[in-house]
This record gives sequence, C-alpha cells and structure tokens, in this order.
Amino acid sequence: MLNRRDFLKLVGVGGAGAAAGFALGELTKTPPAKLIPYLIPPEDVIPGIANWYASACMQCSAGCGILVRVMEGRAKKIEGNPLHPINKGGLCARGQAGLQLLYNPDRIKNPLKRNGKRGKGEFEEITWEEGLSILTNNLMELRSHGEADRLYLLTSLIRGHLNFLLADFMKAYGSPNYLQYDLFQYENLRFANKIIVGQYTIPHYDIANTNFLLSFGADFVTTWISPVNYNYGYGQMRQGEGRNVRGKLVQIEPRLSLTGANADEWVPVRPGTEGVLALGIAYIILEGGYYRGGDAKLWKDALKKYNPEAVASTTEVSEDRIKQLGKEFATTKPSLAIGGETVSSYENGVSNLVAINLLNHLSGNIGKTGGVIPNPDVIKKSFNPIATIAKDASRRKIKTLILHNANPVFTTPETLKLKDALKDIPFIASLSSLHDETTALADLILPSHTYFEDWGDDFAEPTVGYSVATIMQPAVSPLFNTKGAGDVFISLAKTLGGNLQKDITWEDFGVFLRDSWKKIYERHKGDIKEANFEDFWNDLLARGGWWDAVPKASKPVRVAASEVSAHLSSEPAKFEGNDKEYPFYLILYPHLSYKDGRGANLPWLQELPDPMTSVVWGTWIEMNSKAATGMGIKEGDMLLVESPFGKITAPVYFYPGQRPDTISIPLGQGHTSYGRYADGRGANPIELLPAKTDPKTGAIPLNSTRIKITRVNAPKSFVKMEGVAKELGRNIVQTITPEEFKKMGKEA
Amino acid sequence: MAHQQQGTSNISYREVNDDVIKSMTETGRGFYLVLAVCIVGLALTFGLPWAYQIYVGQGVTGLQSPEYWGLYLTNFVFWIGISHSGTLLSAILFITQTPWRRSIYRSAEAMTFFSVVTAATMVFIHMGRPWNFYWPFPYPNQREMWTNFQSPLMFDVFAIGTYSTSSFLFLYFGSIPDLAAVRDRVTGWRKRFYGALALGWRGTDREWHLLQKAYTFCAVFIIPLAVSVHSIVSWDFASSKIPGLNKTIFAPYFVIGAIYSGTAGIITLMVILRRALKFEKYITKVHFDKLGMLLVVMSLLWTYVNVTEVFTGWYANTSYENEALKYRMFTTPSAYLFWLMIACNAFFPLLYIFRKIRLSIVASLLISIGINLGMWIERFLIIETSLPRKFLPFMWRDYHPSWVEWSITAGSFIFFTSLFVLFVKFWPSFSIYEIKEDIGIPMERKGR
Amino acid sequence: MAGFIELMLERFKVYREPGYYKRFDYWWAMVIDLDRCTGCGACVTACQAENNTPVVGEEECGKGRNLSWIRIERYIEGEYPNVKVKFIPVLCPQCDRAPCEVACPVYATYHNQDGLNVQVYNRCVGTFTCATYCPYDVRRFNWFTYNKKNFLKGNGGSSTSFEPPLDQQLNPDVSVREMGVMEKCTFCIQRIRAAKDRAKDENRPIRDGEIQPACVQTCPTKALTFGDLNNPKSRIAQLAGLSTAGDLHYLRESGSKISDISSNPRTYRLLEDLNAAPTIFYLKRVMKNGSSTAGHE
Ligand SMILES: Nc1nc2c(c(=O)[nH]1)N[C@H]1C(S)=C(S)[C@@H](COP(=O)(O)OP(=O)(O)OC[C@H]3O[C@@H](n4cnc5c(=O)[nH]c(N)nc54)[C@H](O)[C@@H]3O)O[C@H]1N2
Ligand SMILES: Nc1nc2c(c(=O)[nH]1)N[C@H]1C(S)=C(S)[C@@H](COP(=O)(O)OP(=O)(O)OC[C@H]3O[C@@H](n4cnc5c(=O)[nH]c(N)nc54)[C@H](O)[C@@H]3O)O[C@H]1N2
Ligand code: SF4
Ligand code: SF4
Ligand code: SF4
Ligand code: SF4
Ligand code: SF4
Repeated sequence: MLNRRDFLKLVGVGGAGAAAGFALGELTKTPPAKLIPYLIPPEDVIPGIANWYASACMQCSAGCGILVRVMEGRAKKIEGNPLHPINKGGLCARGQAGLQLLYNPDRIKNPLKRNGKRGKGEFEEITWEEGLSILTNNLMELRSHGEADRLYLLTSLIRGHLNFLLADFMKAYGSPNYLQYDLFQYENLRFANKIIVGQYTIPHYDIANTNFLLSFGADFVTTWISPVNYNYGYGQMRQGEGRNVRGKLVQIEPRLSLTGANADEWVPVRPGTEGVLALGIAYIILEGGYYRGGDAKLWKDALKKYNPEAVASTTEVSEDRIKQLGKEFATTKPSLAIGGETVSSYENGVSNLVAINLLNHLSGNIGKTGGVIPNPDVIKKSFNPIATIAKDASRRKIKTLILHNANPVFTTPETLKLKDALKDIPFIASLSSLHDETTALADLILPSHTYFEDWGDDFAEPTVGYSVATIMQPAVSPLFNTKGAGDVFISLAKTLGGNLQKDITWEDFGVFLRDSWKKIYERHKGDIKEANFEDFWNDLLARGGWWDAVPKASKPVRVAASEVSAHLSSEPAKFEGNDKEYPFYLILYPHLSYKDGRGANLPWLQELPDPMTSVVWGTWIEMNSKAATGMGIKEGDMLLVESPFGKITAPVYFYPGQRPDTISIPLGQGHTSYGRYADGRGANPIELLPAKTDPKTGAIPLNSTRIKITRVNAPKSFVKMEGVAKELGRNIVQTITPEEFKKMGKEA
Repeated sequence: MAHQQQGTSNISYREVNDDVIKSMTETGRGFYLVLAVCIVGLALTFGLPWAYQIYVGQGVTGLQSPEYWGLYLTNFVFWIGISHSGTLLSAILFITQTPWRRSIYRSAEAMTFFSVVTAATMVFIHMGRPWNFYWPFPYPNQREMWTNFQSPLMFDVFAIGTYSTSSFLFLYFGSIPDLAAVRDRVTGWRKRFYGALALGWRGTDREWHLLQKAYTFCAVFIIPLAVSVHSIVSWDFASSKIPGLNKTIFAPYFVIGAIYSGTAGIITLMVILRRALKFEKYITKVHFDKLGMLLVVMSLLWTYVNVTEVFTGWYANTSYENEALKYRMFTTPSAYLFWLMIACNAFFPLLYIFRKIRLSIVASLLISIGINLGMWIERFLIIETSLPRKFLPFMWRDYHPSWVEWSITAGSFIFFTSLFVLFVKFWPSFSIYEIKEDIGIPMERKGR
Repeated sequence: MAGFIELMLERFKVYREPGYYKRFDYWWAMVIDLDRCTGCGACVTACQAENNTPVVGEEECGKGRNLSWIRIERYIEGEYPNVKVKFIPVLCPQCDRAPCEVACPVYATYHNQDGLNVQVYNRCVGTFTCATYCPYDVRRFNWFTYNKKNFLKGNGGSSTSFEPPLDQQLNPDVSVREMGVMEKCTFCIQRIRAAKDRAKDENRPIRDGEIQPACVQTCPTKALTFGDLNNPKSRIAQLAGLSTAGDLHYLRESGSKISDISSNPRTYRLLEDLNAAPTIFYLKRVMKNGSSTAGHE
C-alpha cells in the first residue's frame, strides 16, 4: 500500500528531519540568525522542497495520524498519514483546518498577566521568567501553607506521556486534583461497555466489515468518537473492494443526522425511547429464537415487558417495523448495533447504551469481525464530573487552578454556575495557546505551543483492536514566544524543588518523551523489529507512531441477565419542563466542524457549509415546517427558544428530517471570548440546559430538556449556500435500486 | 417627388444654412447649463462609481454566482440595440430613396455612433480587469498568443469594431459637404477646425460624384453589417447552453428588437431635438407618421418572435426550460417586469394604427419611451431570469443589482446625452444639403 | 505570408477538435463513488488549504461568492418521515468539450495536453463569460483583493482573508489570485506537474495512484479516485467500467453516452445530456426510490 509518494514523504521525515525542525527553531531564535536567516542554511531545508513530518492530529480525541508539509520552516498543508491504522490517510475537515490554529491571528504571543478586573480581558505582556516566577511563588506559598491539595489542574483530554508527566507532577506536589474535562467524553459509553463487553474502554466498532449496521443516534460520519475511522469503515461497508455484499445502515434517531442522511432507512423514534426500542428489538431476537445462549429463558423473562405492542406505543415505531428490524438484525451476519451521542445524552443515557449493547450480545456480535471488537485496555485517566469543580470552587476549596486547553466555561450550562465559581478561585493560570472563555478569567497566561510546535504522543482510544501510539513532533519552530506545556511543568518542578525535583529530572519534555519511549522499547522488544533504540526512534518519527497490528485475542465475556437487567430502564427518558408549557423536545448535537465549539475560531471551518443545512458562519434552529404552520413562522425568522433554565435567539431553518415535536440546534457558536472569527456569532444552546450531570459518569445530558419557541422581530437571518434543494427531475444524484445492484452480481 | 408632403418647400436655402449653423455657433445659457448638468451628472453617476468599482473590485456590484452577468451587459445589449436604427434606417431609406429620411438621418446616424460608444464602455465596465482592455484585440505579441476566434465575445470585438468604424464613416462621409458649408460661414478656430474636417471639399461635380459613390457603398455595406452585429451580440447568449439563452431564434429576435428599439429611440430623439433646436419646420408630422407605421410593423414582429420564443421553450418541455420560463414570467421577484414589457412592446404601440396617434407628438413620445423601457426590460429579463436558474438547482440564487450598477446604468444615459449635446454643438446635426435637396431646387443629379 | 496563413488554418483546425488534442499525454479523470461519499466536507477544506482559496466571510457567502472549488450539493426529496437526502461533490469535471473554453475571448481557459481544462490567471481579463457558460457553476471569481478586504466588518471584527500570520500557510506551489480574475478546480495541477517532473527525471511514466489531488487524498471514505484514463488498467478506468482502450477512444470520438460504453451500470456523468463531455465519472448511489421527481416543490 505504500506508494511512492508516501515513501517520498517519509524519506523526508526521518529522525534527522525532526532534529532539523528543532535545529531550525534554535537557529531562528538567536539574534544574528534572525538578521541573516539561512546564512548557514539548515542541511535539511532546501528552499522550494517540502519536508513532511509525521505527527498527531489534536483537533479532537480520535487520535488520527498526520503528515505536515513544511517548506522553509513553515507548515503548508496537513494530510492524513496513510500508514496510520486509525485514519488510513484520511482526515476530516477539522483535521485539515489545524493549520489555522497554528497561524491563528488571535494566538497569545507572549506570557500575559492580568492587569484589570478579572474577566475584563485586560492583560499586560510579561516575560517567561516573570510568568514562571509568579506561578512558582504561588505554588510555593500554597505548599508552605500545607494547602498543596488545593491546587487543581484542569486539562482537556490528554492521553500520552504528557498525561503521565502531569500526573507525576501533581502527585509529587501533593494534590490529587488532576482533572480532565471534555463535553464529549464518552464516559456513559465506557460505563455501558463495562457491563456488556467487560471493559471500561470504547471498543472498536468494525463498521468496515459489518453487513448490517443498526445505529441508534450515532452520528459517526461527523463527530462521534473517531469519525475518520468510521467514515473509512462506512466507505468499505458500502463499496469496499472484494466485498460482495453491500452493508446496510439503519439509523434510529429523532433528528436525521448526516449519518442518518446516508442511511438506507431512517426510524424517527420518539426522543428518549431509543433504549426501549432496543429492548423491543431484543425481545424479537429472543422470541424468534435467534439467541442460542443457554440463558435465553432468563433473558426472555427479563425482557417480557418489551413486546412489540407496548414498545410501538412508547416509541412511535410501528410493530411491523420493530419485528422486521429485529429479524434483520438477528439474521444478517455480521451485524452491529451502536449507540451514539443522541442516545447517550438523555438523562437515562447509560441504560440506553446498555440496551443497545445487549443487542450485540444477543446476536453474537461481540468479538467478531464486523461486530464489536474489544480494544486493549488503555491506561487512561477517568474523567471527572465538571460539577465537582464548580462545587469545589464555590466552596472555596480551590486556591489555585491551572488550566490547559480546557474551556469548561463555554461547554457547561450557565446553570452550573461554573463561571461564577471560578471567580471565587484566588489564582487561575492558563496554559492556553489561544484566548477562550475560561482563559478570560485567568490571572496569568503562559501560552503553550500548538501541536505543530511541540513534542508529544497520543494513545488513541478507541483504537482498532490493537494498540496504536501516535507520535507528535515539532514540525515547525515556535511561531511566538510560547513554551510546551510539558516544558512548563518540568521547569516548575525544578524551581519548586522537593519531591518534584526528585521525581521530575528531565531537562525538557522532548528528553522525557524519548526516555519514556526507550522504556516502551525495552518492554516490547519482542514485538519490535528494529535492532536498537536509535533505529526504533527514527522509524517512530518517520512512520508517525507505533502499532503492532496483531489484535490480541479477547477474553470471552460473561454477561449475566440478572446483572444487566439492573441497568436497563423500562421507562423512556424523562425531560425537564412540562410538555404543556414546553411543547418541543430539544436535541443539541455537535456541529460537524466546530464540534463543541472548539473549531469556531478557524475561518475555514466557519466557511464550510453544514452538510445538512448548508448554513455558514452562524447558528440555526432546525424545525419541521409542519410544526411551524399556524405559528406564522417563515424560514429565516428569528426565534426565541426558552427552556425552564435559559433562552437563546437564533434563526429557524425548515428541516424535513426532523420530527415535528422536536427541535434541534447545533452546538459550537455563541462564543464571547474566542477570537475574532468566533466572537459574537450565533448562540450557544448549552445555555438552555439545567444544572444536571449523570450521577454515575458526570456526563452532561444534552437532550433531556423541553423548550418552547416564539417568533421575535429581529432582522438577522442566517446565510445558507443552497438555492433550491430539489432535483426537479434532473437526475443529478443518480441512484440504482438495491435490486438493480444485485443484478450486478453483488448483494445489497 | 412629393415634396409637398414634407412641408419643407417654402423654406429658403439661406434659412437652412442659417438655422443649422446658428445651432452650432450661437451658444445660449441653456446650452452651458445642459452641458454643466451633463458633466456633473456624468462624474457623479458614472465616473466616480466606476472609479470606486475599479479600485475596490467587481464585488461592489450585485453580481454573484451564477449571475455573473448583470446590468452592465443588459445596458450593453440595450445600447447596441439603440444603435441599430440610426444607421440601418438611414441606409435602408437612402437606398430606397425615401425622401423623408433627409432631415432626420444625420442625428439618427450620430445616435448610432454614440450608442455604440456607450455600449463599448459597458463592456469595459463589466470587465474584472479593465486595465487589460486591449487583450482581446489580436495584436501581435511574442507569445504568438492570438485571441480565441471561437469565442462569441471575439466576434463581438470584430463586429462592434467594424460597426462603429463604418457607422462613423457613414456619418462622416455624409457630413462632408455640410462641414464645408460650415467652414465657409465661420471664422477663427472654427474655420480651421471645420476646414480640416471638410477635407478640402469644394463641391465640384467630381467630388459630389465620389461622395455619392462612397456613401452608397457605405449604405450597402452597413445593412448586412448591422444585421450581423446584433445577431452576433445575440450569440453571446445563444451559444451558451443555458436554459433561456440557448435559443436558435435569438439572432432574428435580437435584430428585430434592435430595430424596434432604435426606431423608437429616433422618435424620442426627434421630439426632443425639434423642441430644443426649434426645428419644427424640418422635422414634421410626416416623419412621425412614417416612423409610427414602421413601429406598428416592428411591434407585430416583436410580438411574433416573443411568442415563438416562449412557445419553443414550453414545447421542449424540459425541466430546464420550464423552470426558466416559469421564473421569467411568474416567480422571479421582478415578474411584474415581464408583463410591463409585454404591455409596452406588444400592446401600446398598436395604438399607432390610428393616424391620430401617429400625428400626436405627445403620444409618440410616450409610446416611444415606453418601447425603450420595455426593450431595456427585455434585455434585463433575458439575462437575469436565465442565469439564476441554471442546471443545478442547488446553485440557484436571485440577483439584486447594487447601487453602483444602477448608478452606472443611469450614467450611461447621461453619457449618451452628453455626447449628443456636444454633437449638436460641433457638428451640423441636420443635413444642410439634403434638406436643400428636399426643398426642391434642381441640383445636378448624376445618374447612379 | 502563405506559410502564415497555412499555419493559422492548421491551428484553427486543431482548435476545432474537441479538446484540441487527438490524444492526450495523460488523460486525468476522477471517479466519485456516491455510495461511499457521506457529504462530510473534508474535501472542501482540503482544497481550500491546498489551493490558497480565500475565506470570504458571512456577507459574501450570502451573495454566493464563496471561493470553494469543490462543493457538496445536497438534495432533499420528500416530506417527513419519508425523506431522502442525497449528496454529490461537484467540482470542475474538466469537460472534454468545455463550454467555458469556447467562451473565453483571450484563451485564459483552454485544454491542455493532459485533458485538463486549464485556467491561466494572468491571462484572464474577467469577462465572466466562462462562468456563465459553465453548466456546472464551478467557476469562482475574485471579486476583491482578498488580502486587503476586511470580511469581518459587519461583525465588528477585523480580518482579511489571509490575515497574518494565516498567510504563512499559503501554498507556494499555487498562486494567490488577483482581483478580477476567474478561477476553478485545477485537479491540483501543481501536484500533477510535480509528479510529471519526477517521472521525467526518472524516465518512466507516472504510476497509477501516484498523484492524489488534495480532495482525493483527504477523503475519509475514499469516495474519490484520481487517475489516468489513457491507461485502461488504471483504477479509475476499472472503477468506471472503461477497461479497454477502445472504449476510451470511442468515448471521445463518438461523444456517446457513458452508459453505452461502460461495463459498470453505476457509472454516469453529471448532466451528460448537455454534451460537455465531463471527465468525472460518478458511480450511482444504491438507494431505494432514489430517483428525483419533476416539478418544483
Ligand atoms: N556562481 C554563480 N554566481 C552567481 C550567479 C550564477 O548564476 N552563478 N547568478 C548571479 C545572480 S543573477 C544573482 S540574482 C545572485 C543571487 O545571489 P543570492 O542573492 O545570494 O541568491 P541565493 O544564493 O540563491 O540566495 C540567498 C540566500 O537566501 C536564502 N533564502 C531563501 N528564501 C529566503 C527568504 O524567504 N528569506 C530570507 N531571508 N532568505 C531566504 C537562501 O537559502 C540563500 O541562503 O547571484 C549572482 N551570482
Ligand atoms: N531554481 C532556481 N531558479 C532561478 C534562480 C535560482 O536561484 N534558482 N535564480 C533566478 C535568477 S536571480 C535569475 S537572474 C534567473 C536567471 O535565469 P536565466 O536567465 O535563464 O539564466 P542562465 O541560465 O544563467 O542563462 C540563460 C541562457 O543564456 C545563455 N547565454 C549566455 N551568454 C549569452 C549571450 O551572450 N547571448 C545569448 N543570447 N545567450 C547567452 C546561457 O547559455 C543560458 O542558456 O534565474 C532565476 N531562476
Ligand atoms: S477525527 Fe478529525 S479532528 Fe479528530 S483526530 Fe481525526 S482528523 Fe483530527
Ligand atoms: S471528503 Fe469524501 S466523503 Fe467527505 S464529502 Fe468529500 S467526497 Fe464525500
Ligand atoms: S473571465 Fe477570464 S477566463 Fe473567463 S472568459 Fe473572461 S477572460 Fe476568459
Ligand atoms: S465544468 Fe465548467 S469550468 Fe469546468 S471545464 Fe466544464 S465548463 Fe469549464
Ligand atoms: S482536484 Fe484539487 S483543485 Fe480540484 S477540487 Fe480537488 S483539491 Fe480542489
């Protein structure tokens, strides 16, 4: 598979290449080099000839491998690493747009110290020495008062060696409060998997090889977990080479997502009843005798409530459809059921996901090609409920908070009062590369490198059935006066002394990383073909990571009916707000290109039309035009959306792929302090949510609120790129029926 | 010849000379006022907006994908249309020796030339990089890069180049004896100026003979040329594949439209000129009567080609044509324009069937202005209701011209008027010698 | 003089051939499998990153003036709950009988020896004719000098399309276009030229799959495939069901419908009845009741 082009790219990388990246960095830093650049040209940098550095995409938590095209020290293009097992050369739009993070005009160029009122955004530039000493002094003082445990470190999802370093740092400092937060942390899914697959990780969903994919609200082609990998799987499932059968996709969700738009069938289930529907399907599997396990009787008893009649009336899916789905799922091999963000984001998310996973168990899809493939257990830090932070802060338990790339102020409901709570923290330091709503509250900003300027690595979760580690190397020298987060902590450790100095001995993060990989090398020598560490390290940098593509045989999992049924909910999800006053269900979903809002500062992503509505640069409200009749609402009108907890205003888009009783709004816009491209655009619908988190997993239930709408007189409308979305018989997107496709000697 | 009909036989030669030359030499306050208004108007509505557009970019227009053609091309076709009657009519009437031609043809020919010039400016205004305006000309260059002779725009360059050159020559040749007459009656710089322009005309038999020959040649040459020019302009549209534009009938459709609008333009102009220059005695009701008859014929022809166009589109019954037609007649935000056009061009001109209407100056003015309004709308609709409904509905989008485009559109009328105002001052705007011919003193007529 | 006239006549004859060339050195083409494409839009951003296409901002987008060279058209048929949604990536299919080439008075757009419809930015005078003639609406125009225009004005912010340091990302292999010129998808000609150069140095033909335009490269579902149609063994020829050289020759000469030639019943060309002979072959999506119905709304 390695074609010449790829080979060339990789040749251009090598260990020396990476070193050159650093050498270049050093060069441009010294004043004479700045005056006469290239007087002594770096060996590897030939003007006009590109170098390709293998690295990791950090735009979401999927863990894709990238190649960065660098010319004369400047990154020009990102491409997917064709050797990487997760993305196989592909990249999503967000991955492509990473360069606009590196070159963002709103990047923080120097360390900053607050000099106005907190939250006013008034900062003055300081030197790194000054910045580091402010933080060091603060930490020393904290420790000397015996309040080391009142230091909190809040980061985004970090899975590589930086995670270990930070954990070591916090431990040596004496604080247990190292927290990670991400709005989409898939904690409900892990929890549910523990129950059915027996692992507290996300398994590999083998979409590529399945023949029947039953997706409960999993929008896997846009943002869900590992979109590039799933998109690849989808392409293979449909028209993979050497496949004689075209896999079928059925999408069960109240709002037709992009994945739903690609499905063969759409089941617009009543919001919150997806779990019930899954159990109804399970009932059919058992009734039809498709389940061969010895405990069939037990399962039957546990599920007897979920007969088609009862389920049909709860879910508003017809009995026939339930029966047909059950039969098709059980008889098509291999089949696969997945439960996505929509399902996970009700107040009963976990039980929905357990119910969906149960289908895989009953159909024998677990551990099978084309089914659910357990992943190696990754060493991971479990997420902490964001509510704890809010609570601890408001109780004045937190004395110092260090933030790294986490922006909870934007991605938590106003009702959690996180912003107010943070104001009670005496000292906040942020290591953000860019301003954001949380960093706006900081007293000190020590801007870190972007992922193009720093060393690092990433252990993807989920992977594809075997371990995948992706290496991140500095493709360009730092653009501004920034430091890597790892380097900041290492230098803090040095000055803080004590245990810290004993435990954290490396001179910088790059050395730490190399040392850590040396340990990996030594541990896995048997699986590694390189004869010595130097070769291994160079290959690692050239290849972009290390994966040993042999799936480990998974242990069979015992699934006991009695245990599982305790986690099943017989009830549909409950919603906040009564249905008289608040007639619509609210579905909040991550935007294709901003996801939870993090992409909104990248102009390429702002200008990428949303695939379902073609809207650019704004927020919109999706509603079925049937629901709008009688309310005097026209498309483009501004609507006031109110829940019992908050309200927003946004223009309405008439969307036929929407249940009339449901209204959907994408997340991601409505920023107030996220740079020029994001600020003052659209609305953040998360403001409509209650102060509620899942007691088991800390997840924020995005979809358990009801809303009402009223038309308001406001001129602003959205900009959509579509003219007329009807083909008018012009046969633009031509299709053939599954029957015709079968005549080609294939099965559909 | 039926001189009596022209109502000019009781005018003396001297009076003709005096009248025409007076219009050139005696400049009243009115003229300066008009000139000042023209210059200021031109700067405000035309010059400044265009400068702004050149500086900021074509983005200041309302053009967009897929309506890459807008008001500027509408105006272009409109002015080319206007140019069609002047010279063409003059040539046809000359060859058919129609006597009532004589007192109107000079200004009609000037109208042709000036409207071609106005149309040409529209092309440059329309261009994204007007500073490279000369690139479409086939000048020799080291790249051996010739222009694309397949392109209808290339045909335009040649057609319009030829048309403006020959219509200027036609105008000029016909004016030589008059320029000489002016030269003989004026003093100072004017004498030198007109002396140069008159090319040493002495009025010898040989000169008259040569003039007659050259003039006849031009007239014969210009008739097919004019027909071809507007046919070619129509091919800018018809050689595309765009529904609403890809029409085989477009060449005759455009030529008929052009003659129609040009004739109406002449009437409007005559009404204004005879008032402004007090030439009621030369431009008489007879002229209005004859031109009115012509307009009835043109109106019927126009209606015929329009019905044909709509019918063939409808008969083809493709989604493309159907949607374009529906959009043009009913669903475009400016659908009322279509029906206004039908009223102005198909119905009101039929009033000319009545002689009373033909002889009414006010009615003539209203109807002729109405026709040109309708004809402008026609060009607007051809472009602006076809391009927004191309093949891929996802790209459909309505066009809203910007203030810059509207301003320059208005400016193009001022531009044309300015040229005309200068013309009546610097050029004998009525044919002195041919009016004299009309008056009926036997001149030596060489057999042709 | 006679020699000159002969030369001109000869040239004129050549120009009248569809695509000017009897046989292309390579015949670059693309296959788009609509059954794989999910409409995810990665290709759109990849193209923007590769080809220095400016971001134009909300207001200009509202006027249909976004500069993307590739777009995902989305058609929705039917009403809730029987909704059919279909996606199609549309980019310039490098028409073999390109209407835009006929249109351009100054040869700023022409067919090259590789079967590509090439746009010469510095030759273009901006008459818009090509864009008007283009049936696929894929041509994009530089309405402004984008590295000067503040597109955030309406929003109270300030940014040009290549606001420093965003400009450091610009691909040096691709020009940044001047105000007043037309542009469009080039099939990433800079990558083609680089590959040709490399192949020439190594005295070999370009290998199948050696060139991947940016959109093709990034596509997560691998819905896009690029290659040389002259080579009947290439992946695209196989996918499009054009597996013998005779097919391809016949396709060009006869102007016949692809369905008469292709051995793959899924192969079709967009708006083929317009006879522009586009060189992108779409593979039909497999779908129940997918055909569109006539009539507006
Ligand atoms: N032997 C020989 N000598 C010649 C000539 C010849 O053909 N042969 N040609 C003559 C001619 S015509 C000329 S113009 C001169 C050219 O002579 P120079 O101007 O010296 O040109 P180069 O040596 O090509 O480039 C100078 C340096 O600029 C660096 N550089 C590249 N890009 C950038 C950039 O963006 N910024 C900065 N600051 N530096 C950059 C290059 O890496 C290189 O180190 O040489 C003359 N001398
Ligand atoms: N890759 C790369 N490209 C570059 C540059 C670079 O540094 N790297 N530098 C750029 C610069 S700065 C320059 S100046 C250009 C130079 O680019 P060119 O002008 O192409 O320079 P040469 O190749 O030096 O000379 C051109 C030809 O002139 C011939 N020649 C020599 N003397 C004479 C003469 O007396 N009469 C005639 N008729 N021909 C003669 C030579 O044999 C040669 O074939 O290249 C530019 N291009
Ligand atoms: S899915 Fe997209 S954003 Fe996430 S890591 Fe992969 S390329 Fe990056
Ligand atoms: S990247 Fe691929 S799957 Fe995504 S829209 Fe483009 S062609 Fe379709
Ligand atoms: S816009 Fe440019 S490329 Fe297009 S026809 Fe005009 S000159 Fe040619
Ligand atoms: S698609 Fe349009 S721009 Fe591309 S070759 Fe065809 S006519 Fe020209
Ligand atoms: S082939 Fe290249 S230029 Fe064309 S759309 Fe794809 S990325 Fe853009």
